[in-house]
Amino acid sequence: MMTITHKYLFIAILALGAFVAAPMALAADLTDIGYIDQAAVGNLPDFQRANAQLGQYKSGLDRQFAARMKSAHSQADQQRVISEFQGKLADRQRAVLGPLLARAQTAIASVSSSKNLSVIVDKRIVIFGGQNITKDVTDLLQSPGAIVPPVSTPAPSEVGYVDQTQIDQLPKLKAASDAFATFVNDQRTAAQQKMAKAKNDAERSQILKDYQTARDAKQKSDVQPLVDEMHNAMADIAKKKNLILVIDRGDLIYGGTDITTDVQNALK
Amino acid sequence: MSKMRSSKFAAWAAAGSIALLAGCNHAVDVNSPQVRGIGYVHLDDVVKVHPLYPQLSQIDSTVAAIDLQSLGPAVPQTGQQISQETSQLNVELKAAQDRTNRILAQKQLEYQQREQAAIAAAIAASGESGGGSAASAMQSVSAQQAQTVSAQANGDFATYQQSVIAQNNAALKAISKALFDRANARYAQKLNQLNQSESQLALELSTADASQRLSIRTKLSNLAMDDATRKSYKDQLATLNRRESDAVAAARNRDQAELATFQTQLRVQTQNEVNAQAAKINSQTQAKIALRHSTVSSQVTSALRGLGPAPSGGGYSASTKAKIAQLDKQFKSEFQADAQKSIAEYQQTKSDLDQRFAQLHGIDSAATGSAAKQLAKLQAQRQQLYGQIVAQIQREANTIAAQRGLKVVFVNVVVAVGGVDLTPEVEKDVESLHE
Repeated sequence: MMTITHKYLFIAILALGAFVAAPMALAADLTDIGYIDQAAVGNLPDFQRANAQLGQYKSGLDRQFAARMKSAHSQADQQRVISEFQGKLADRQRAVLGPLLARAQTAIASVSSSKNLSVIVDKRIVIFGGQNITKDVTDLLQSPGAIVPPVSTPAPSEVGYVDQTQIDQLPKLKAASDAFATFVNDQRTAAQQKMAKAKNDAERSQILKDYQTARDAKQKSDVQPLVDEMHNAMADIAKKKNLILVIDRGDLIYGGTDITTDVQNALK
Repeated sequence: MSKMRSSKFAAWAAAGSIALLAGCNHAVDVNSPQVRGIGYVHLDDVVKVHPLYPQLSQIDSTVAAIDLQSLGPAVPQTGQQISQETSQLNVELKAAQDRTNRILAQKQLEYQQREQAAIAAAIAASGESGGGSAASAMQSVSAQQAQTVSAQANGDFATYQQSVIAQNNAALKAISKALFDRANARYAQKLNQLNQSESQLALELSTADASQRLSIRTKLSNLAMDDATRKSYKDQLATLNRRESDAVAAARNRDQAELATFQTQLRVQTQNEVNAQAAKINSQTQAKIALRHSTVSSQVTSALRGLGPAPSGGGYSASTKAKIAQLDKQFKSEFQADAQKSIAEYQQTKSDLDQRFAQLHGIDSAATGSAAKQLAKLQAQRQQLYGQIVAQIQREANTIAAQRGLKVVFVNVVVAVGGVDLTPEVEKDVESLHE
């Protein structure tokens, strides 16, 4: 028969045991969030060869570009040349990297499906936990033959994402962003002119400080309210969709819940 | 009695462990639907409280300052590139000179022919035969014209000489400034590097002593302690602090001495470089002036030879002579005005090329080239430092996340409406590295 003392002691030990053991057990729990080290994929021989090939093509293109720019006198001519060469490079990138990226995407989808993951993000934004699928994906990518795509789409995820570049194109955000960029550019030019005339480090330091202060003040007065409005809209939508958090499209590799259109509509 | 003590102890232990659990979980159920095992850290906020952040901020300020000071981003970096561009500029200058000389020679011939034709027409219209043909009326160069040509050439030469000397002085000033700016930048870089190692040392010492310090502080927080023991712990803590600050102070003294030596070396080295550049520029200036003198002399001789013969007017009536003189004056003045346009165009081209030469060899390339190198170095330094800071934050966050039983922790989230914000806790841990 256990005495009262022993009971208390037992509860205490249990509680302490739970304190020590529970986090370990929970940390070991699998999550439906995976991540991948994109650099490791980029280092695979196929990708390295493709990048070397692109680098070689770009060197040749750079020489042609420099020659063409010499004979392009007007700004319109220069713009045309720039667009033409950007197009050429993009075409070659699509041709060389396109099939590799498509295969990588299928491999990621396949691994995600087999591990029941709802979202795969870039390794850079995960500092603890999650499932690292880098090795599974690189192994699959290096295996011979075609990769079979999964039959099912990823399960709905508690991680949402927004394509910030699309949201930035909304008229009011773009107007504010352009006006801010013009302001910063003007301030920068003025500061550069002052820098050229500055006689000592103290003057240079003051010019830099004034430039940064003016830029930050403008950012706070003209840009920050819009950023806050945007974040509030995202938070409202995230709550409605039962999401935990929202990341940028740039950090997402696969899956996730896209709320870009909802945010765009909310901000219109 | 002993039973009672045991049960009291057990009750305290149970209460304590429950409190500990509650405290550590911060009353948040990590498995609740609002959290689902997810945590996040606002990395930028934590970086700002890290002991090495002042160093990072200093690098950022230096990068911003250099960025503002460097006006031309696409300046050639290597000697080979500079040499290639110099050759190209020389070719362009030579082409501009040749083109201008050709145009002037053509124009001179054209105006001479038109003048001759006009004078011949005027003589024919007057019906006078004069002392000979219209062509023979154009005989020799007048002494006045020769004097004008020489005076003009001498005036031009004097102007050129003054402008070359002014350019020489400006180039000397610019190079001197560029070299001293570079020396200052190197000094600032060294200072920054030493400051960083001092901070690093302070951080390492503090980290190494952290567990000992924490242990002493924990003991000191015990209220039931006699004065002698408390004093002993306080002394231990003071010794620990003193040992760290002594080590940092010793490093600082060494760094100060190293900086002073480095500054002296830099000053001597820079002055030598300025002297060498000054000698080179002065010699180039002398050569340019000598070359122009010789060119002007030969041009004057050639011009005097090539000047169209002025009409002598011998054997003609006064009115015909006046007409010939008026035509001669008119064509010469038209030629001068026309030639002046070509010369102005050439001067404009030359001025542009001179500017490009100056950019290539002078302050802009020196300052921007060195700025680009310095920027690259600082950015690498920043990346390394930032990596170090983030790695430490990650270690702290990992410990906290494991204690809280989270499944995954993110950084750089755009918006979070659920999950556990670990930022304050990680900040606190990272800040404690200061102590």
